[in-house]
Amino acid sequence: MAQRDEIPPGTLYMLILKTLSRQGEMHGYEIANAIQQLSQDVLQVEEGSLYPALQRMLLKGWVTAEWGVTAGNRRARYYRLTALGRKQLAAELSQYERVAAAIARVLQPA
Amino acid sequence: MEWLRGLGRRLGILLRGERFDRDLQEEMRLHIELRQQEHMERGLAAEDAHAATQRKFGNALLLREVSGDVWGWRWLENFAQDLRYGARALLRTPGFTAVAVIALALGIGANTAIFSVVNAVLLRPLEYKDPGRLVTVLRYDADPVAVANYIDYRDQSHSFEAMGAAEYWSPNLSSSDGAEHLIGLRMTQNLLPMLGVGPLLGRVFAAGEDQKGAEHEVVLSYRLWQRRFHRDPNLLGKSIILNGEGFTVIGVMPPEFKFAPFWATRAELWAPLAFGDRIHNRDANSLRVFARLKPGVAVAQARADIAAITGRLERQYPGTNSDILVTPLKENVVGKVETPLLVLLGAAGFVLLIACANVAHMLLARTSDRQKEIAVRTVLGAGRSRIIRQFLTENLLLAATGASAGLLLAMWGTNALVVLSPAKLPRVDMVGIDGRAMLFLVGVTLLTALVFGLAPAMHAAIGNLSGALKEGGRGGTDGIHRSRLRSFLVASEFALAFMLLIGAGLMIRSFSALQSVDPGFNPHNVLSMVVSVAGSNEAEPARRGLFYRQLLEHVRALAGVESAGGINHLPLAGDTWGWAFEIEGRPKPRPGDEPEAVYRIVVPGYFQTMRLPVLRGRAIEESDDARAPGVVMINERAAKEYWPGEDPIGKRIAFDTGATIRLTVIGVVKNAKQEYWAADAHPEAYLAALQNRGFLEIGESSVAYLTLVVRTSGDPAALAAAVKQTVWSFDRNLPISEVHTMDGVVADANAEPRFEMLLLGVFAAIALLLAAVGIYGVMSYAVARRTHEIGIRISLGANRADVLRMVVRQGMVQALAGTVAGVAGALLLARLMAGMLYGVRPTDLLTFGGVAAVLGLAALVATCVPARKATRIDPMVALRHE
Repeated sequence: MAQRDEIPPGTLYMLILKTLSRQGEMHGYEIANAIQQLSQDVLQVEEGSLYPALQRMLLKGWVTAEWGVTAGNRRARYYRLTALGRKQLAAELSQYERVAAAIARVLQPA
Repeated sequence: MEWLRGLGRRLGILLRGERFDRDLQEEMRLHIELRQQEHMERGLAAEDAHAATQRKFGNALLLREVSGDVWGWRWLENFAQDLRYGARALLRTPGFTAVAVIALALGIGANTAIFSVVNAVLLRPLEYKDPGRLVTVLRYDADPVAVANYIDYRDQSHSFEAMGAAEYWSPNLSSSDGAEHLIGLRMTQNLLPMLGVGPLLGRVFAAGEDQKGAEHEVVLSYRLWQRRFHRDPNLLGKSIILNGEGFTVIGVMPPEFKFAPFWATRAELWAPLAFGDRIHNRDANSLRVFARLKPGVAVAQARADIAAITGRLERQYPGTNSDILVTPLKENVVGKVETPLLVLLGAAGFVLLIACANVAHMLLARTSDRQKEIAVRTVLGAGRSRIIRQFLTENLLLAATGASAGLLLAMWGTNALVVLSPAKLPRVDMVGIDGRAMLFLVGVTLLTALVFGLAPAMHAAIGNLSGALKEGGRGGTDGIHRSRLRSFLVASEFALAFMLLIGAGLMIRSFSALQSVDPGFNPHNVLSMVVSVAGSNEAEPARRGLFYRQLLEHVRALAGVESAGGINHLPLAGDTWGWAFEIEGRPKPRPGDEPEAVYRIVVPGYFQTMRLPVLRGRAIEESDDARAPGVVMINERAAKEYWPGEDPIGKRIAFDTGATIRLTVIGVVKNAKQEYWAADAHPEAYLAALQNRGFLEIGESSVAYLTLVVRTSGDPAALAAAVKQTVWSFDRNLPISEVHTMDGVVADANAEPRFEMLLLGVFAAIALLLAAVGIYGVMSYAVARRTHEIGIRISLGANRADVLRMVVRQGMVQALAGTVAGVAGALLLARLMAGMLYGVRPTDLLTFGGVAAVLGLAALVATCVPARKATRIDPMVALRHE
């Protein structure tokens, strides 16, 4: 098993937003799995943070949720990005890139 | 805008309620199942897969709560939970709940009702533009000013933006609907614009319209326009007949407009006032002067300004004016009722405090009984703040229930107050439970919940946890400091009740002193009404005297009538005019020092009808007419004041009413009440109507009306219709107004002290009841808590009398301590009430002693019931009970 890391603080929203933007509609389990798989099992989303985060994103209006049916014919709540969420993703990405680049510059061997 | 959408989403979640939680639950269940399936696909046994998933997922309930908390409604959920819990707890003890709710309803209801009166009468600003700058300029605060003086003040002062004047006017309105005697004002043109209230229809008077010859215009009140003209919008520009002359209606004021606010309050129409040749008159004081201060000018500056002018006028025209005062208009309107209303509001506040103390010690007892429940909840993880919050919520629920019942009580009480209130109470028509009164109710309720609830809640939370659990909730003896708090509460109740009872007692003593005042006349079985001839054929000088004489003859001939007479102004109900006169054969007094008397004009039969005894000489008779020598009657006070040690009969005096009238004193009558019931009579002069120029002539100061007084053998009100018919048999268009029985007039004169006595009495009775219930509750509780101890005492040989004494002593010590503290407060209150009292000193020993006795007796009775119960304790049962 690959070594698993905690998701760095403040990036969970960005990861969820990005995942949703890539795949359209997803329910909670799918989001958690998608992040885990895309990160090649490095990033592990705790359920304990995922659901409060989704609620907070609903409150902020970044995502909407609707009940649908899974491939296995089960009822599931599907989350989908809103225009506001897309804007938020762009903002978070550019901020993240700025910070990452800055960190990289600091860490560069002299 | 985004925050608004966020709020919308938040509210959406709130509306979804239970479904929100179910959705989360379902969503998470799917997650868990899918995860478990995944584990099993990887080869874990079903059991292990389940365990692994659960381990990773953690506490699903907690996660749901944390997810839900995002929406920020946790507090509301807790509150709803506390509320449900509180409601169940209150319903478990219906007796306690009922007593507490009733006590709070009485307290909150009484306060809200009184506040609604205080709000309308005292707090609400006068309904004119920027009313804080409106003042009156009057003699001794409220008396009118002469025309020439007004003009000097207006022209020489520099503190005012504008100054205007108004004069009492009571014209007869005649139309096809019949005639009516109205109350109105004639006013200078600038007065209505100065008040800053625009007309509903048409316009108000324009500059120059208060000049002689241009003054036949009139502005109507909404009420008159509605009542007599059926809100006809085409009335503007038309002419109406007032006192037989045409007046053009130029405007109608809005419904809420009233003027003047403290005198002539029933004025229904306003016409311009032209001074004509009166501009030099400094003797006839008839103008009420109103002014608007310039912005930034204080009342004190305006006073100095007016005082300087008064000083100059005093030197120029000695004795013609003095004591002119500038008073804020509002003070003139509400000044006299301020203290009584605040005393009543304070009394209502006391009732609420007593109710709070009562509920507080009941709650204390209740929390003692609930120690175990609290301990269990604490052990299960409830925080101290959560427990306090739970208790406060329960108290809030109690207070809110009390407040709802209190609101009903207040609505009923406010109506009752308006009905009972003295007619002279200004602005009483605006009293009602409005937004401000509701706000007051909510504020008082919250405060109440905090006051009666905080101490028990704190006690509950601080209580000793393990002790409570071990003890299993059966306290042996009560915590010393909790029982001290309870004793303190009971003592406070008695202190407050004592103060209220003193207030009520003093008012009752004062009222009974007022009832025994001799008005000088006998008011029983007397009917009175004003019959005016202004503007009719009977107004002709040649016919006026004859008309009233014939009218009275017809009235006397009616069945059930014993006698009848007439007077210009009825005592206690009518106006009082003062006139200066000279006594012949004495040196001319300095101006301003002339003898003065209240001036009455009577038609023969008046003294007999009122049973106002003629003490010396004779009464005015039919033969004292225009051809006979002029006569005058005086009251005892005038005789004593102006002819001390002399016989006034046969002495001659001279009145100056334009021309000098010489009159001979023919009789002295007993003092009759004049304007105020509680005031001593001023010197008074009665002139014969049939000799009086003012009565017999048409002119500026003509008296074109008379108040009939009729003594009946039966109920005077029953004869009103017959007397009216008699008047109308002469002329169907003669207006009749102010139909009263003399008993009613006397009752009205005493309406204010009666109102105050009644309210204070009701408050004091509630206070007494609450205090008695309070001490009863505390003593019952103490006896119940001490069953064990009393059992031991009895088994050790204490006899029943000892036990009785012990319990009664404990109760009475609390009551006594409260009463002693109450004496100090009551002395303060009584001093505040000094102005409301008549014939009784604020420190009246009888009242203080009587109240102490009543309160002591109530305490004794309330203590004896639980004490007797204590004596019946069976030691065996009591000891086993532990």
